[in-house]
Amino acid sequence: MIDSVQTHKHPSPTRGARVSARQKREWLDGYLLVTPAIVAFVLLVVYPMFSTIYLSLFDYGLTDARIRFVGLGNYIELTQDTIFWRSLRNNLTILVVSVIVQVGFGLILAALIDRGIRWGKGIARTLNFAPVVMSAVAVGILWQLIYDPTVGLANHFVRLLGLTPPSQGWLGDPNIVIYSILVVACWQYTGYVMIIILAGMQSVSQELYEAAEIDGATELRKFLHITLPSIRNVNIAVILITMIGAIKVFDLVYILTRGGPANASQVMGTYIYYNAFTVNQAGYASTISVVLLGFALALGFLQLRLSYRPREDA
Amino acid sequence: MRIRISTVLVHLLVGSYTLLVTLPILWMFLSSTKTMRELFTTPFALPSDPQWSNFLRAWESGISQYLANSLIVTSISVILIVLVSALAAYALARITFPGREFIYLLLIAGFAIPVHTVLVPLYRTLNGVNLINTHVGLILPYVAFGIPFSVLLLYAFFLEFPSEIEDAARIDGCTIWQMVLQIVMPLSMPALVSVTIFQAVFLWNEFSLALIVIRDDALRTIPLGLTKFQGQWSTNWTLMLASLSMATLPVLLLFVILQRHFIRSLVGFSK
Repeated sequence: MIDSVQTHKHPSPTRGARVSARQKREWLDGYLLVTPAIVAFVLLVVYPMFSTIYLSLFDYGLTDARIRFVGLGNYIELTQDTIFWRSLRNNLTILVVSVIVQVGFGLILAALIDRGIRWGKGIARTLNFAPVVMSAVAVGILWQLIYDPTVGLANHFVRLLGLTPPSQGWLGDPNIVIYSILVVACWQYTGYVMIIILAGMQSVSQELYEAAEIDGATELRKFLHITLPSIRNVNIAVILITMIGAIKVFDLVYILTRGGPANASQVMGTYIYYNAFTVNQAGYASTISVVLLGFALALGFLQLRLSYRPREDA
Repeated sequence: MRIRISTVLVHLLVGSYTLLVTLPILWMFLSSTKTMRELFTTPFALPSDPQWSNFLRAWESGISQYLANSLIVTSISVILIVLVSALAAYALARITFPGREFIYLLLIAGFAIPVHTVLVPLYRTLNGVNLINTHVGLILPYVAFGIPFSVLLLYAFFLEFPSEIEDAARIDGCTIWQMVLQIVMPLSMPALVSVTIFQAVFLWNEFSLALIVIRDDALRTIPLGLTKFQGQWSTNWTLMLASLSMATLPVLLLFVILQRHFIRSLVGFSK
């Protein structure tokens, strides 16, 4: 499915020849059908994207009518803004840990469900996936209660293990807050990775495993030499999806901490929101948006290149 | 049949991991019908005397309104997304016209644009046409941002659509619109259901855009409404958890019922 991008093209039969009336009619149909989608998409996605880039060159406020061209001024300010660097670093921390934990656990869990267990496959799949369909807002509020510094379940649990909970609270300690948020993110999304990998594993030919069994291969060897190579592309796809999710995280951080305490958990998404809608620095917010956009587009295009299949007749 | 020890261990491992993952959700549902006292003394016991009044109070405090708003916004958005995307995906997959490939790539590249990077211009545009603080102002960007993924999925499906059916329809004198709306779409239900449930779950949970577009309490969707209770009921946990349960239950049920379709759309997403 995810074969390398096909570059070979058949010559179009219309090229060079005169366009018949029937063909024109067909073209018109094509354009009419795509028009609603294109109009909505260009007006509300493409135009705003360029608008963000344009506005990043201004000192601009949404609530007053302040707008003044500052050239690359915002970008220069950005390089000296420690909160921005903190945000970027937090995004990268989330990215690295998410990829390792979510893809690692997701892969192991999928392998165990796929070939390790006989009973309760469906239930294990459904229950592990359940957090994914919850809204980040509900998840955030739920975990805020779990992380409550006095009576929360997290403290309860940690004490059961004979450990001491953090004295400033899970979300109140600037040194651990980002990891507390990561626990929630991994709790919510490992099931997502698991389900995609599991679907990939289920399309691996059973004959390969049977042949390996005749050779007396252990389950671990089968996993390393049959399963992993067969689902390589699926793994790359989920890694990219996880990376994109980590770069654009907003809801969960906003609900759990608003980027606090003292900006310790600020990420690009929340810092954009803070600048645009709390302190009325929409121009500066656009500058941060351009950085975020750069990351997202780069990762998005990698994903697209992996999956793009041109139409066979085109 | 002989059962090996390793098999038992693997079941125990997967079982206890799954239980650990499920615990927070279980706790949420269990606690939502408890008294505050019970919530703290016996966190994982069944409520001795279920306090259904928690649900009633949450319902009357605004949840009913928020659920209704979410239902309206989500269903209108999803219907529009599916319709608009199906028309476009059909043209891109089945008709040959100049610029086809460029339009396809443009649409699916939009997939990579996070909504957070365009909040400022979107706010500006919507404010300029007086759509801030309206449901329409929320639905329009929802539709636009829903298009790339939906076109991607439906395009892949329409590529495999049997051309004999189209030929027969053409011979019968169908216009292109009749063909798409009356013949192709009804025969593409599995793909349309996959797109519908994916977008429905996503929009039901959407928060970032709702946060900047909606101001009035009466217009809040459910995620935005929950944030109001986050401040208001920060000490009244049972009410908070009852609200969270009510917000979560619809999507959870939808997922359990239509699991197969939902997973199919996610898998398509990763290809």
